[in-house]
Amino acid sequence: MIRLGLRLALASGREGAVRLIIIGVAVALGVGLLLATLAGVNAVNAQNARYAWLNTGAASTTASTSAGVGAPAADPMWWLLREDYFHGQAIGRVDVAATGSHAPVPPGVPRLPGPGEFYASPALGALLRSTPAAELGDRFPGHEIGTIGRSALPAPNSLLIIIGHTPDELSRLPGAGRVTSIMSADPSTCNGCYVGTDAAGIKLILSVVAAGLLFPVLMFIGTAARLAATRREQRFAAMRLVGATPRQISVVSAVESTVAAAAGTAVGFGLFFLFRPALAAIPFTGAPFFSSDLSLGVVGILLVAFGIPAGAVAAARLALRRVQISPLGVSRRVTPRAPRAWRLIPLAVGIGELAYFADRRPETTDGQIRAYLSGILLTMVGLVIAGPWLTMLGSRVMARRASRPATLIAGRRLSDNPQAGFRAVSGLMLALFVTSVATGVITTIVANRGAPRSGSVFSTTLSNFFWPEERAQGQPAPSVDSIPAGLKSIPGVHSVTVVYANPLDQPGATGNRPWPGVIPCTELARTPAFGSCAGGAEVAAVYPDLIGPRRLPKSPMVWPAAAIAPEGLRQLPVLSVVVDTDGSASAIERARTVLEAAFPQGRRFPSTIGEFEGDFQRTLVQFQQLANVVILASLPIAGCGLAVSVAGGLSDRKRPFSMLRLTGVQLGVLRRVVALESAVPLLVVAAVATGTGFLAAQLFLTSQMGYSLQPPSGAYYLIVVAGLAVSLGIIASTLPLLKRITGPETARNE
Amino acid sequence: MTADPHSRRCAIEARDVVLSFGKTPALRGASMSVVSGEIVAIMGPSGSGKSTLLHCLAGILVPASGEIYFDGRRVDTVGETERSTLRRDHFGFVFQFGQLVPELTAEENVALPLLLGGARREAALKQTRPWFERLGLDGLERRRSGELSGGEAQRVALARGLVGRPEVLFADEPTGSLDSLTGEQVMDLLVGVAREQGTTVIIVTHEGRVAAYADREVMVRDGKVTSFVADPVLS
Amino acid sequence: MLPGMSVPLTLLGLLEREPSHGYDLKRDYDTYFGRGRPLPFGQVYATLGRLARDGKVVIGEVEPGVGPERKRYVITELGATEVETWLAEPVEAEPHLQTVLFAKVVLALMLGRPAEKYLDAQRSAHLHRMRELTETKRSGSLVDALLADHGLFHLEADLRWIDTTIARLDALAAAVRS
Repeated sequence: MIRLGLRLALASGREGAVRLIIIGVAVALGVGLLLATLAGVNAVNAQNARYAWLNTGAASTTASTSAGVGAPAADPMWWLLREDYFHGQAIGRVDVAATGSHAPVPPGVPRLPGPGEFYASPALGALLRSTPAAELGDRFPGHEIGTIGRSALPAPNSLLIIIGHTPDELSRLPGAGRVTSIMSADPSTCNGCYVGTDAAGIKLILSVVAAGLLFPVLMFIGTAARLAATRREQRFAAMRLVGATPRQISVVSAVESTVAAAAGTAVGFGLFFLFRPALAAIPFTGAPFFSSDLSLGVVGILLVAFGIPAGAVAAARLALRRVQISPLGVSRRVTPRAPRAWRLIPLAVGIGELAYFADRRPETTDGQIRAYLSGILLTMVGLVIAGPWLTMLGSRVMARRASRPATLIAGRRLSDNPQAGFRAVSGLMLALFVTSVATGVITTIVANRGAPRSGSVFSTTLSNFFWPEERAQGQPAPSVDSIPAGLKSIPGVHSVTVVYANPLDQPGATGNRPWPGVIPCTELARTPAFGSCAGGAEVAAVYPDLIGPRRLPKSPMVWPAAAIAPEGLRQLPVLSVVVDTDGSASAIERARTVLEAAFPQGRRFPSTIGEFEGDFQRTLVQFQQLANVVILASLPIAGCGLAVSVAGGLSDRKRPFSMLRLTGVQLGVLRRVVALESAVPLLVVAAVATGTGFLAAQLFLTSQMGYSLQPPSGAYYLIVVAGLAVSLGIIASTLPLLKRITGPETARNE
Repeated sequence: MTADPHSRRCAIEARDVVLSFGKTPALRGASMSVVSGEIVAIMGPSGSGKSTLLHCLAGILVPASGEIYFDGRRVDTVGETERSTLRRDHFGFVFQFGQLVPELTAEENVALPLLLGGARREAALKQTRPWFERLGLDGLERRRSGELSGGEAQRVALARGLVGRPEVLFADEPTGSLDSLTGEQVMDLLVGVAREQGTTVIIVTHEGRVAAYADREVMVRDGKVTSFVADPVLS
Repeated sequence: MLPGMSVPLTLLGLLEREPSHGYDLKRDYDTYFGRGRPLPFGQVYATLGRLARDGKVVIGEVEPGVGPERKRYVITELGATEVETWLAEPVEAEPHLQTVLFAKVVLALMLGRPAEKYLDAQRSAHLHRMRELTETKRSGSLVDALLADHGLFHLEADLRWIDTTIARLDALAAAVRS
């Protein structure tokens, strides 16, 4: 029986071969995506595990961390983690001091570095060798004794340095803590572990992305499986007539699908391994992965390798249900039952769930994941289920209000078999839904949190803050004299401005809190980029970076006056140093190095606003990129599904349309019918999908962040219109074929 | 001309068969019986239900009420799998269109019932080869059905129907899509082999010249069987 | 004797096939053209005599024995030409048996008799005859088959007419009784 099945599968001629190839391609795509998702989840976990040790400081500050911290070592170690920057990229600087020879050792290094020694990550080591010391090397005391191993590197390009000190030195720095073991808990499971990625959140996004891409692929597979359905039904009916049992037919069709699915799965595995390095380089957690992070567990591999072909077999069985029943096959074509209104229920439940959680945000991240993921997936599934009903509704309206024959015919044909009409555009609908959700969410977040502030002042101004609360006990504030003189003479530095701590309560722009810094207006006049004094004042109250939080670019800031005499300012403690540069990398890095060398005990290192906010913005940009990837990938997949479906539908139409032509219906009318039959479901589902997508986005935003939906940018509209235009183009391209297909030869009695 | 019909077994029989398609009644209590080795023609105007009666007798359709007997056993009460096996092992079919599997060669098509019954490929093909010669299909063994003419395809279907030495051969308008001469050739062969092997044949046709190949005819009108000449067994 | 059926020409045609005795001629005629109504011997020999007189046949050698049945008849050039002309000329497109059956049906309807039963009976008889012809076709020569086909097609046409008439009986009955 299986041999017969193989024989039939391989002997189907060109039509059959094309069908199997298309199924194989679709399965390969689906398998590749699935594997990428599984590997992505594994990669996030693997990478997070390598972040864990950087959270060692959390163990000393919070008492609640318990699980995952290794066995306490005999000698504690002093530990201080700070973030530095170079050329916009973050450097993780770990200052350690062992109190004895049995101190805990972080992963990736054989021992703790002693005073005057440091270990650097491979990327940082390379930078140290290739960059002038004045820009980078001078920040770090000591010499390099080795490279940090891979097990401690979150990403291949991570910039990390572990610098050794004496315990006395380190204990005096603010923020340094004593720890007895290295943290090994996953950052997402421990409170206070702020280094690492929000694994749960990432996994949520990954799952939704995967679903958003997988559904169109599934639709594609379903469409491909239905190609040449009539001929296959005839073939199976002939076999049933001669005495094949329903079970034998199942086996034969299963063999066919298994062949295609198995080949597709193999190709899918190949595609995954081929694109793995490229995938690893996409930093959607903020840092790229090692290729080996994208691993597939044995369970995952087995599940996919056997599950997909099994699924294909099951799907083939379902598709053949009609022929299982009758050996008379297609001689009696009964009108399929009309879709009923209950099909709207899953969609309503999905939206309802999101709406329910709009007011009641679950407390735990896990709970949130469950709520949003299930809501969005349910909505997606609901859209697919409700699609035929919506198509039927639209087509009935169209038929009832038709005044021309083409519209009437198209409307009736659609309402007769709305499932077929919807199937072709279902992939597109899901693609548009995911696109709308992603775009809506991201546009709104960006609008509310502010776009990455870049250009002009934000990327050229280096600020070094000396917040009082970040100083160690008994440590005095820096004075004007401690600011290195060489700072001004660095080529590229325009000005060095000192901001003093504001001793008075002055009203400021941000509600009741006064601006924390004061500056003589004469200074401000020298640097117009930072704004101007309120008219007539001598001293202004300012924000320490002279820019202010959340200020949009290009709006000139007018600082309010402060009632302090300008002569007394020099006695005040220094709050911050603001260096205005020409924006060149060398100027910024040299200025930064000088400042760090002068103030090595700072809790925070000097940074530009772009760098400081860069971390969050980077994540946002990454999400945007991910969304773009999803959009750009799902639309072509959906387009392929549509093309295959329209091409297949054309051969289904051969006979009835030839008959119509023979009876005198003009070719133009028939072309309009084909166009309407495809275009009407397309536009209906496009509208529904984008509307539902924005609704889902709104509910998610309301629940998770309290924002309300902002209208998306022009790029979104462009993409949607382009996608629709291409789809309509695909439909239109088949119209010329209609003439050839419905020629008089087809109507011959075969 | 023939032996006393009452002395021969009744091969296949329908009693008061009723069947409707949705709301349209097709058979309203049709009864007929065929003795073993007989060739019977079922005639009637279109829409009278003659094809439906054939399908019921062959176990393809299950009547809503009434009984179908083959060789004394009930056919309408057994499951789909059993009826499929019955068709495979005991019946042969020559219908008007589209019963060859396009992906298989002619000889594979003829061997299909044997293959479905579990025979090995080589053994099955060995059994089918003599039929090609017998039915004048020499040299066409490896052709696909699309490469055969109408008459050749019907003869291949005939070979397939006879290869398993069935007890009953069912034909539904076997010459309907053929011209007169080709149709005649097919009928000649059909009846010739059937007589030789003692196969019972039931032919549905609306053409008198095709019915003339049978021993007797029954008329189906409005879902009921009427015949002027008394049914040798029922009367 | 039916219109269009010409006994002399038919016998002539049979003779063109091969020279035969009168007895064989009659037998062949009955088989193919008799329609169950055999030609009387007298008519056969009378026709043959006329044909001989007209020069369309000649009497071949005489077999030993007495009586006209022993004569072998052979066709002449003239006879052959006659047959040729007759063949080339189309037959009158008139209904044959239909006129008789039509009369029967109409009468039955008038008299309230079961016309459908009569027609069914006729069909049965037709099919019976067709079975016989089919048997002849299968066991005879190619020429026999052609002749049998001719009969079969006509009988089938009759069957078609019978089917149509049965379908029309109600309308026919109304028309007749009005």
